[in-house]
Amino acid sequence: MTGIRRRLAVCAALAAAGAALGGCAGVEPWQRDVLARPDMQLVADPLEAAADEHIYFSKEASSGGQGFGGGGCGCN
Amino acid sequence: MQLKKRKPMRKLRNVGTPLAAATCALLGQAAPRTVDAQELAPWDFDTSFLIYSEADGRVQDLSLNGIARKELREDSFLNLTFALDSLTGASPSGAAPSNVVQTFTSPSGNASYTAGAVNPVLDSTFHDQRIAASGSWQWPVTRLTLMDVGASISNEYDYTHLGVDAKVARDFNNRNTTLSFGVALASDTVDPVGGAPVPLAPMLGLGNMASKRGDDSKDVTDFLIGVTQVVNRKTIVQLNYSLSNSDGYLNDPYKILSVVDAVTGSPVPGPAGSGLYRYLYEGRPDSREKQSLFGLVKHDFDGNVLEASLRYMTDDWGVDSQTLDVHYRWGLKDGRYLQPHVRYYSQTAADFYHTVLFDGRPVPQFASADYRLGEFDAITLGLKYGMPTKKGEWSARLEWYQQTGNADPAARVGVLTNLDLYPDLNALIAQVSYKFGRR
Amino acid sequence: MASPCEVHVADASRDLAGRVLEAVAGEARRIERKWSRYRTDNVVHEINTAGGRTVTVDEETARLIDYAANLFELSDGRFDITSGVLREVWKFDGSDRVPTRAAVAAVLAKVGWRRARWRRPELTLEPGMQIDFGGIGKEYAVDRAAALASAISNRCLLNFGGDLLATGPPADGRPWRVGIEGLAHPTRAAKEIDLKQGALATSGDARRFLLKDGKRLGHILDPRSGWPVEGGPRSVTVAAPTCTEAGMLATFALLHGPDAEAFLAAQGVRHWCLH
Repeated sequence: MTGIRRRLAVCAALAAAGAALGGCAGVEPWQRDVLARPDMQLVADPLEAAADEHIYFSKEASSGGQGFGGGGCGCN
Repeated sequence: MQLKKRKPMRKLRNVGTPLAAATCALLGQAAPRTVDAQELAPWDFDTSFLIYSEADGRVQDLSLNGIARKELREDSFLNLTFALDSLTGASPSGAAPSNVVQTFTSPSGNASYTAGAVNPVLDSTFHDQRIAASGSWQWPVTRLTLMDVGASISNEYDYTHLGVDAKVARDFNNRNTTLSFGVALASDTVDPVGGAPVPLAPMLGLGNMASKRGDDSKDVTDFLIGVTQVVNRKTIVQLNYSLSNSDGYLNDPYKILSVVDAVTGSPVPGPAGSGLYRYLYEGRPDSREKQSLFGLVKHDFDGNVLEASLRYMTDDWGVDSQTLDVHYRWGLKDGRYLQPHVRYYSQTAADFYHTVLFDGRPVPQFASADYRLGEFDAITLGLKYGMPTKKGEWSARLEWYQQTGNADPAARVGVLTNLDLYPDLNALIAQVSYKFGRR
Repeated sequence: MASPCEVHVADASRDLAGRVLEAVAGEARRIERKWSRYRTDNVVHEINTAGGRTVTVDEETARLIDYAANLFELSDGRFDITSGVLREVWKFDGSDRVPTRAAVAAVLAKVGWRRARWRRPELTLEPGMQIDFGGIGKEYAVDRAAALASAISNRCLLNFGGDLLATGPPADGRPWRVGIEGLAHPTRAAKEIDLKQGALATSGDARRFLLKDGKRLGHILDPRSGWPVEGGPRSVTVAAPTCTEAGMLATFALLHGPDAEAFLAAQGVRHWCLH
């Protein structure tokens, strides 16, 4: 259990770091040209991401991370 | 200006050519440029066909997928997805290979299958079709807050899933920072062929269903909290923490463990009259708590994009994993691109993972020989090529996935010492996609 | 120009963008000064106050008058640069003050390109007649300014009050994403268009109209009758290689009233009509 508590603490610290980073980074709205490109989106190819998620969920013990698993399956 | 006598004009004469010529004269341009203006279709479609093929006669999956997206009103979207899968081939059952021929009763209880000496034990009795669909609606609650609600269903021969999810995302900091929070609830019903086995009960002979019960179910609750941050004009990072709780029937109903002699490593006789060696159906805990931390960075190098992510996962079954995933999108001329992909994955074994169980020792409370709960590393190498067309984009990718695992060292006794207790998994993934519509 | 004008330059340094802006704004102002009917120091003022006298115009104005004469013929008299005087009796302020037939007839006596004498470069109008380049000037300005901009950068999008021209795409393979203003919600696009190059011009009556006895009268007047064109779409957008062409086709379409869509279909141009 201590392992889990320690991990939770690490993630809280990272989140705090992220929030602090928020204060000093960023762009103005007219500087969002690159970020608006389809290939710069967080999930640039949803079908590829969904296919990979399904494959790795079926073959490994881990899943998710970037999003939720969209649907369970009895994959074996 | 004097009038020429005009013939009565047709109301809708074609004035295009004389108008173009007159405009040329006015503007003094030799050759007018052409016009390239396309109206956006109301729907976005993304479709793909995927082939997943494992070597050595193992699983093959053919999959057809589609996503349709429509903007309902400004910034409000409807997303619909569907997936069709057809699975064939054979899957490792969890039984260990041996130096003798082994016979097993198939899940239905009506047939049996064998594994030759030395060969890995694969259960080829399943063929499955799966259909899945989901829908979600995303809309801005306030100018800075986006809400997303969705539902998903899937069905296959022995498994049904129903799920709902909701997510809220709020922008801060001139929209440079986004905080997200999401919840997903799922209720899945497992109705295995022949019934769900009693955990750690022995495999019985043909027609004997005493080790089997009826169907069962499980509930899954997922939480996700994440922050996305624009670092600069060309860089964005994301950090997510997820918590997932599963409760109910978490076993794989078709997986078994071999019980072998502690000295010789040979299989021991099964229940009297069954004609089988001794195999036990696996039994996992009826709850699982997973936590994961996921970080992603995307950076633009003048039209080329590097995406790298790291995920740490830990759960209360004793599995810890790390995933490193890197894509580099290399832009070619005219919107075409080449994207190499490398993924490295590593996991530790679950506390109750046992490659084999030993005769004479007490049967543990939980045990599974499912290779997916074992200790292994996996690597994926892939290449994707994309090409825009007038109305959309074609892309194709080819990936190779290899898992290399380590069996439980304690299992290497007697005849098992030189057998492949944890065969590598080698799979080829090929996917062809076509996107068309608005983007 | 009577509307906000802007130019977008993609993938450019501050210096480059500055040069494009200077070129475009400079040309827009030059054309405005030259042909605005509100000024008292240009050729249009000279023509409109000539009182029957012959006026000699410069080369550029001569070309524009030639074009207007062509448009008059091509549109069977629907497009007429002498029709501006009708604004003396027609004030499209959303009220119900529709002029009497007699008032319109009186003003109509001063309308008609046929009454003008055009012997390049000399223009003679009858006393009381006026010319107004408002129907052509903005689109012409877009094309001229775009020509100057493309000498500096090929990734420009000009927007003069809704009349657009793209000299080229903002990046290889990517288009400019533009919208056609909706009628009900002016800030929400009714249609979205991907523009890589060429022009999109819109003509419409969304804002200026009269409302009498429940009947809406748009501000597009038929110079042959002196009365508003009825039964047509409220807004027409046309895509063409130049802004001038696109604008003229959009205007012609509106002047055809209920036949607007059929007219545009007969021209084989990409168009969008909002009703």
